[in-house]
Amino acid sequence: MSIPADLKYTKEHEWVRIEGDIATFGVSDHAQEALGDIVFVELPEIGRSVEAAEAYAVVESVKAVSDIYAPVAGEIIAVNEVLEGEPEKVNTEPYGAGWIAKVKMTSGSDELMSDHEYTTFLEE
Amino acid sequence: MKTVLFDAHVALGGKIVPFAGYELPVQYKNGALKEYTAVREGEAGIFDITHMGQVRVEGREALAFLQYVTTNDVSMLMDGQVQYSALLNEQGTFIDDITTYKINNQAYYLCINAANRHKDVAHLQAESANFDVNVTDDSDETTLLALQGEKAKAALQTLVGFDLDNIGYYKFARGKIGSAGGIVSRTGYTGEDGFEIYIPNSSAVEVWNELLKQGAVPIGLAARDMLRTEMGYALYGHEISDEVTPVEAKLMWITKLDKGDFIGKAAVAVRKASGAKKRLIAIKLVERGIPREHYKVFVDGIESGEVTSGMHSPMAGGVALAYVQPEHATQGDITIEIRGKAVAAERTTLPFVRSNVKK
Repeated sequence: MSIPADLKYTKEHEWVRIEGDIATFGVSDHAQEALGDIVFVELPEIGRSVEAAEAYAVVESVKAVSDIYAPVAGEIIAVNEVLEGEPEKVNTEPYGAGWIAKVKMTSGSDELMSDHEYTTFLEE
Repeated sequence: MKTVLFDAHVALGGKIVPFAGYELPVQYKNGALKEYTAVREGEAGIFDITHMGQVRVEGREALAFLQYVTTNDVSMLMDGQVQYSALLNEQGTFIDDITTYKINNQAYYLCINAANRHKDVAHLQAESANFDVNVTDDSDETTLLALQGEKAKAALQTLVGFDLDNIGYYKFARGKIGSAGGIVSRTGYTGEDGFEIYIPNSSAVEVWNELLKQGAVPIGLAARDMLRTEMGYALYGHEISDEVTPVEAKLMWITKLDKGDFIGKAAVAVRKASGAKKRLIAIKLVERGIPREHYKVFVDGIESGEVTSGMHSPMAGGVALAYVQPEHATQGDITIEIRGKAVAAERTTLPFVRSNVKK
């Protein structure tokens, strides 16, 4: 189970990489493992505003449909269109080529966990 | 309930879920897509389908009894042949869909759905009172495995004492399987060549391990449902239920109204004359998306029905079986509502992908 140290995590098993006021979203290795083979990703529209903990994307595995929640609030400025053709990237590279969207942050969040906190959270 | 192979599933990384009263693997450690691919693309997949029920029907009037309780014409069966059939109630709707195995005129074997087992057995035992016949539920003593895919025959041949080339499609043989006896039929639920194997619980682990050693890939419930849906095969609780008759479910080909009296016959004849209340159609999305069970189907913008089984087919894309109003079965523009959006679809023919069964 991979949990990179340079990312923050949510209790819903999303990760966020914060660089200045830009935040990149994805799902954690634990999440992709639990979801199983992902066969479809519905991306948000660019320009949409999302609140922290708001569902902004949908991933579908062979058997299930799951909402993906925004770790922080912001305006969607980019989406990973590669996932429309290769949704399996979410499984194979959850922290890299499997990123889902980037936002321009409008506010931070007190709810985010460090890698250590997330590791502890997963163990509980 | 656990099957005798439960520990084997866990050891293989099986993700266990409750299914029809059993604890079964929805997938193993490599995931459903790889399992699906193994079966479709040249390997042999092995499935623990012990949850399916087995019922013995024996006695002087076994044939007459089965003619009365099942929809298909049992008199057409030869010894060693399997027949797809159904049990109906007096309203002509489904109690279950089944397969009938003929050993001889006085001995048959029925394979029934797990979820319907107790209902089926109670029904069969009640109806058997009027016939010189015994109905025995063998389900708890029997393990059922499916071995499906291009390499199924070669893998199974190593551990059976008879030539599998002599078993044609929907035929079966009895004989030695591993160290004990059992039944092997050339049947399945995947659209690939393959077999279903009935063995006593006592030899299940041995046969399972031997087939793994021959290269068979273990397959969970998720990939099984993908393979079945791609063929358009009906599944009880989805395409068929006690709310539809064979007229709606496109199963008149197993419902022989000219064979003599059987339970549900009169009601089905009336429905056939008056017309189906809804019709089962095959749909393919022309836009991106995955149609799923219970999603609403619209025709020319009018809500017409819902998806009964749907999936993302690696080969065919978003495909679904759905019931629609009879007037929409062949005409009108179809959309499926996915998360509030109308996604364009079109009618197609079954199976959704090519079948490789050796008929």
